[in-house]
Amino acid sequence: MLIDLRKCIGCNTCAVVCKSENDVPLGVWRSWVKRVEKGKYPHSKEYFLPIVCNNCENPICVTVCPVNASIKRPDGIVYIDPHRCIGCRYCMAACPYGVRYINPIKKIAEKCYWCFHRVDAGLKPACVLACLAGAIMFGDLNNPKSDISKALAKNAIQVIKPEIGTEPHTFYIGLDIEAVEAIKIEEEK
Amino acid sequence: MDTQILYNIFHQDAFGLNIAIYFYLTGLSAGSFILSTLAYSFGMDQYKSIGKVGVVLATVLLVIAPFFLLIHIGMPHRAWHLFVYLNMASPITWGSFLLVLYPINCIIYGYFMFKGHIKLTRIFGLIGIPLAISVHGYTGFILAFGKARALWNTAIMPILFLASAIVSGIALMILVCIIKDRFFSKEKKINQELILNLGKLLAWMIVFDLFLVGSDLIVLAISHSDAQAAAHLILSGKFSILFLLVENLLGKILPFILLAVPGFRRLTTVIIASILVIFGIFFMRYIVVVGGEFLPLL
Repeated sequence: MLIDLRKCIGCNTCAVVCKSENDVPLGVWRSWVKRVEKGKYPHSKEYFLPIVCNNCENPICVTVCPVNASIKRPDGIVYIDPHRCIGCRYCMAACPYGVRYINPIKKIAEKCYWCFHRVDAGLKPACVLACLAGAIMFGDLNNPKSDISKALAKNAIQVIKPEIGTEPHTFYIGLDIEAVEAIKIEEEK
Repeated sequence: MDTQILYNIFHQDAFGLNIAIYFYLTGLSAGSFILSTLAYSFGMDQYKSIGKVGVVLATVLLVIAPFFLLIHIGMPHRAWHLFVYLNMASPITWGSFLLVLYPINCIIYGYFMFKGHIKLTRIFGLIGIPLAISVHGYTGFILAFGKARALWNTAIMPILFLASAIVSGIALMILVCIIKDRFFSKEKKINQELILNLGKLLAWMIVFDLFLVGSDLIVLAISHSDAQAAAHLILSGKFSILFLLVENLLGKILPFILLAVPGFRRLTTVIIASILVIFGIFFMRYIVVVGGEFLPLL
């Protein structure tokens, strides 16, 4: 998945459509748009950072899951088997991106899995389809002729927290370092 | 640059108080077990009278501890999945076997000890030592595998947990021995020499624990930015009072002074020091578990 932050207008459509597509309960989110303001008004700018699961190449959640409920599929999507998860929350503790939550009704861990039920049926994930700015691109990275492979080759790309070594598969164009790390800046104040 | 977060999502705490209590109880259990083997497996006869107390404490605490895990997990009736769908890379899988083997070994070891079978007690005591170290050491690995949290992701975590386990184990043993001798023994007389000996042992284990906490802190404070934020959190942030005052000053330094200065060495000071240590180590677990996941990730 490639998110072009130059096109994102921060409308939250992706977050809303994700909720309805995946039946996400109140109080938890599979995707959301983090909103950061840089500078002092009137010389300020808002940055939007849509967050989804990174479906990492080297997912720590899969390493630590004690019951193999978190599984990486051959196509790279990391998903949680809802019948196997015991809700121990270890994956939530280990995930560097905070995208996992405990479903308050089912009491098991859940997260974004790029709508694999739609991908398996040949459709695009709900957020990709709903994004009115066309900022989210989804496709096969193994195919060099796919749109996403071409876009990744042509643009300067970035991932969140590359230093953790999880090798995220959600790429961003125009990712601002302060938009990712703003929380630490607030802590230091 | 002035940067402000206008909107962000934070999900539930992953671990929290239940896990901190669980770590605390397994620590007390492992510490008690190791003390009980001093006499029966290593022949230190001055500690003979704490052997039975130690094995009873170790077993009881380790039978209670997993209930906090069952309260914590969302689907307790699926706990059997832990023994069927194994992921050997996960410390929790190691733990699910240790949590079965260790109490069984404790019970066998205790059975032979109460029967007076010295040789078998010695053998099961020696088998139990690596189990006791693992049953608490693995909890250190659980945290160390949380690689996004700087306070957890350190190789010193398992040994730090073991040191604090032995510290809290000795303190609990001192208190239980005093209560047992004072109220439940035939002579109603406290074995003062044993208590003072245990006090000395406690003092030196506190020094070792302080050394580990200090070296962890020094490396955190000069490491990468997340680690610096974690050091900041426990030295001057939200957890500073708990960490500096409660855990280290009241829970370690003050008991060490009470135990190590010869003029203070009396039964009452040993009791006060042990109570302080028991509370101090509880806050150590709380700070590590809850403080570790306190800083937001994004």
